Amino acid sequence: MSTGTLTVAPTDAGTARRPGEVIELSAEWSLATPPRTLEARLFWFTRGKGTQDVNVVETQPVASLESSGKRRVRFKLPEAPYSFSGRLISLIWAVELVADDGASARWEFTLSPDGKEILLDRRMASAPRAR
Amino acid sequence: MRRARDNPFAVHRVLRERYRLTEPEWSALLARLDLLGGCGAIVGPHGSGKTTLLEDLGERLEALGWRIRFVRLNAEQRRLPDVSGWGSEDFVLCDGAEQLTFVDWQRLRFRAARAGGFVITTHRPGPLPELHRCETTPALLRGLAASLGEPLSAAESGALYARHAGDLRAALRELYDGWSRGVSR
Repeated sequence: MSTGTLTVAPTDAGTARRPGEVIELSAEWSLATPPRTLEARLFWFTRGKGTQDVNVVETQPVASLESSGKRRVRFKLPEAPYSFSGRLISLIWAVELVADDGASARWEFTLSPDGKEILLDRRMASAPRAR
Repeated sequence: MRRARDNPFAVHRVLRERYRLTEPEWSALLARLDLLGGCGAIVGPHGSGKTTLLEDLGERLEALGWRIRFVRLNAEQRRLPDVSGWGSEDFVLCDGAEQLTFVDWQRLRFRAARAGGFVITTHRPGPLPELHRCETTPALLRGLAASLGEPLSAAESGALYARHAGDLRAALRELYDGWSRGVSR
């Protein structure tokens, strides 16, 4: 894995996103060796007790053979699945900037109709949220 | 109730914990592998770290220039995948060799003979010379829990270890469940 930095962040603040929304991100990189490919991936993955699942929804090429640079990428968010958490599993959405040698950066966000993570346990949903 | 993503014993966090060997122990293991002609078995019971050690060994061998061919078998995947085309530059690592039928084991062994090396994990000794025996202790369980950010007392780790007969995977699952319920130990 080459040394250097990669960052990916939304051009507007906040992690609450809604289905069908278009998100715009700024991808920036500075690597010791130019990556053959650098791509942005919109995906979701699971965290929890069981087997980890991951699904790449869309991939966009960002650059090729450039050791440093800055680009904007846009993704239209799908209708589902929504971000959620229970005791056994959480589903998390993210955009990842990945170079072909494995170097990567990730930005996580929440996808749901009100932009909040759906909490599967009633006690959890009714608990006051930390500010 | 707490979110699965925040659970310190979630699978992605547990998988970050690697097999605990010191550098001298790694050197000794690689020397023994050399002595065995690149062919051996990692032996141990359920939840003793065989797969983790095999993965870590794969990284070490890859760094030494070997091309790693990983064959993963388990209760859901018992059939031998395509094992043709291996050559002297390949090092074959087979996790869960005891899942194979006699015929598939013979096929795998025949194909792996063309490779530069062959290491398996298995619950019982026998199929290949023993390269390493994985063993667990209550202290190891305690160390893992502490590393995951949830320290256990010696008594807690001892009792947990005994409940799961030394199967650290099962013990960590119990800790996952307890944390998700907010159970104080």
